[in-house]
Amino acid sequence: MTRTATCMSLAGGLAATAIAMPALAQNGADYFKGKTVTYIVATSAGGGYDLYGRLVAEYMQRYLPGSTFVVRNLPGARHLVGANTIFASRADGLTIGTFNTGLIYNQLVGLPGIKFDLAKMSWIGKATTEPRAIVMAQQSPIKTFADLQATKQPVNFATSGIGSANYVETTMLTSALKLPAKVLTGYNGNTDQLAMRRGEVGGTIGSRSSFEQFVQNGYGRFIAQIGGKDPNVPQLRDLVKDPAALSLIALVQSQGDIARLTAGPPGIPPAVLDALREAYRNALDDKELQEKAAKLERPVEPGYGDEVLKAVITALNQPPETIALLTQALKKK
Amino acid sequence: MIETMFGSLYAMLMSPHMMGLMLLAVAIGLVVGVTPGIGGRLSIALAIPFVFGMEMIPGAVFLLTMHAVNGTSGQISSIMFGVPGDGDDAATTIDGYPMAKKGEAGRALGASVTASGIGGIVGAVVFAIMIPVLEPVVMAFSPAEFFLLALLGITFIAFLAGREQIFKGLIVGLFGMMLATVGTDPNTGTPRFAGDFLFLWDGVSLITAVLALFAIPEMIALAVKGGSISSVSRETASYSYRQLFEGVMEVPRHWWLALRTSVIGAVVGMIPGLGSSAAAWFCYGHAVQTSKTPERFGKGAVEGVIAPETGSNAREGGALLPTLFFGIPASSGMAVLMGAFLILGIQPGPTMITERLDLVWTLIWALVVGNLIAVTFLLFIMRWVALLTFVNGAMLVPFIVVMAVTGSYVSEGQWQNLVVLVVLSVVGYGLLRFNWPRAPFVIGIVLGKIAEESLHKALELWGLSFFTRPLSLVLIGLIVATIGYAVYRNIKPRTAGAQRAVTP
Repeated sequence: MTRTATCMSLAGGLAATAIAMPALAQNGADYFKGKTVTYIVATSAGGGYDLYGRLVAEYMQRYLPGSTFVVRNLPGARHLVGANTIFASRADGLTIGTFNTGLIYNQLVGLPGIKFDLAKMSWIGKATTEPRAIVMAQQSPIKTFADLQATKQPVNFATSGIGSANYVETTMLTSALKLPAKVLTGYNGNTDQLAMRRGEVGGTIGSRSSFEQFVQNGYGRFIAQIGGKDPNVPQLRDLVKDPAALSLIALVQSQGDIARLTAGPPGIPPAVLDALREAYRNALDDKELQEKAAKLERPVEPGYGDEVLKAVITALNQPPETIALLTQALKKK
Repeated sequence: MIETMFGSLYAMLMSPHMMGLMLLAVAIGLVVGVTPGIGGRLSIALAIPFVFGMEMIPGAVFLLTMHAVNGTSGQISSIMFGVPGDGDDAATTIDGYPMAKKGEAGRALGASVTASGIGGIVGAVVFAIMIPVLEPVVMAFSPAEFFLLALLGITFIAFLAGREQIFKGLIVGLFGMMLATVGTDPNTGTPRFAGDFLFLWDGVSLITAVLALFAIPEMIALAVKGGSISSVSRETASYSYRQLFEGVMEVPRHWWLALRTSVIGAVVGMIPGLGSSAAAWFCYGHAVQTSKTPERFGKGAVEGVIAPETGSNAREGGALLPTLFFGIPASSGMAVLMGAFLILGIQPGPTMITERLDLVWTLIWALVVGNLIAVTFLLFIMRWVALLTFVNGAMLVPFIVVMAVTGSYVSEGQWQNLVVLVVLSVVGYGLLRFNWPRAPFVIGIVLGKIAEESLHKALELWGLSFFTRPLSLVLIGLIVATIGYAVYRNIKPRTAGAQRAVTP
């Protein structure tokens, strides 16, 4: 009798544990039932960040049953307003968002307006990789990277506003690689492409995906890439030997590797953060999301949680020489 | 060619599915347009999830129509209450609202809605005609020309301000240009007059400035004055479809102006980088400058309603050109539209014209038909809408102030803009109270920024020699002629007046 009772209680206990185990794991996901998660996009509606943000929010909502995701556009001061707001929001997992990875540069140099520490944020994931490329206008006599190095006349390079990631990378790379470049600013949106067509600028360094169509249409050519898998375009790191330049190229590549990120404020409770990361992973693994992204010609190459955090910390740990180069690039003019 | 052209129109009109989608798109576009603070860009961004399941041509027609009719309803609140929904609607406010005050809201609405429609249609025609010469035209405009165009726009201030007020106009215009310098310095990248206020780093919000200068002061004035917006009672205004129809007929009466401003709007739209508000202001300035009686402007001249409305709707047709054929969007709205086109499987680029001519024609027809539907619908309901100008101000003012405040907040989602709204409203009311012109302010803030940025770029590219580019020389000639004409017109009546003062 006693034995049976013990057996039964044991079985019951086991059963209870068996039930309790998934319940514990689900705890984080349960937390989101009936809650509203604000997903902050640090740009105005439309455009790449908004697009990835809305896709991620829509599918994360699916994998956190009972939750409602609301996308909020918070443009301003080149993503600083959005990033500052995410950093300062309550660490309850109900506010997360996306902003430009290039803010790593701002933090490295300590530019004004920063009220965040990227190393302390709760990293949830990144949606893709944005390899960079050097693009030259079709009518430019420069056909290869060697041509660019050899040219005597300075070549005009278009960038968007001073302080933007695009500007920082262009100035940094052209000065480290000793390219005869004159960096022109203020080409926002797609006006750099038009300027190349008009011939007033020779080329630019930017996210390859922004120029894919431009090159397909026969208006320009890629002469080198940083990251990326295109076998027909040489990798920039194979074309240079200077170690300082190589470390800069590595920094730029690390930026490209963690594109279209999603992060929350520091200190989100581990169970809640795990649930968010899990939902993010499921969302980006979802075939439907991938199909939609493909239709938009937006690649999906996700990365998750700690792996992204590690990449961010690596990028923030730069030798003094690199920081000096960065500072110089930003102070020039 | 002709077969494709009319074949695509026939296919569109005969398909109930397409027409249903267009009706829906017109309805959504009009509602978004009438709400201050949210633009057409947002409506497309929000529509993207629904586009995934759509077929290519119906989807593209749906999105384009929605985007194109946005400006058609935007002017309703500008005319009725002096609340512009956006920077380009502000140009319509200058003469539209005084018309409403005179009890002519119906006439103003009739004229503006018809003008929008005509502008949209002419824009589509310009689109069709310009396809072969798109390349040279777009390529001719570089930062040097942008700078000179902006400068030309700024010289219009001399005409806008009227004869007696030329100095007041210049002061207000310079104030606008001063505010345009707030933000990030394009030369050094450092915040300028913005300090640690991140919300100012991108400059003063245009929508907030426009609402503060026009909407709030008018509402304060209405509250102080009492009564309704229309100073004429409903009975004497003889408000009816007849007045609306009179407004509609104003457009054919001024057909030459409407045609010119439509073409100006479409060409400005074609050239990426000039900003969306510039078109309406160029057209308004052009109307004042070419008018035989410029003193009527600002006091309720119907041309002042027709010009900006044709211009801002024609712009869409123009902006579609580089978007479709170069794959380079001409405005932020077009950039979002292009993204949505990709979902539908449309690959913008030079091959469009050879491979997808049917689609190109369908889009042109969508602009035409969409504008026609919007105009018919709006003219039908305008009769009741215009009645609001006869409502007592005490009931109207709170609603409109809430609308303005919401618009200012929603446009950028930052509460600090509300502080800017209050501060600039004080300035705006001061200008209104002491009868200073307000239009030069918006010209200053819209064109000041373009002028500064493009001057900087042009100098870096070519140094001072950019003045000698062929198109630059033409524009410089135009600027000199405009100033000369303004000076001449300003001196002539004064000497006549002086002689009169001496002779008696």
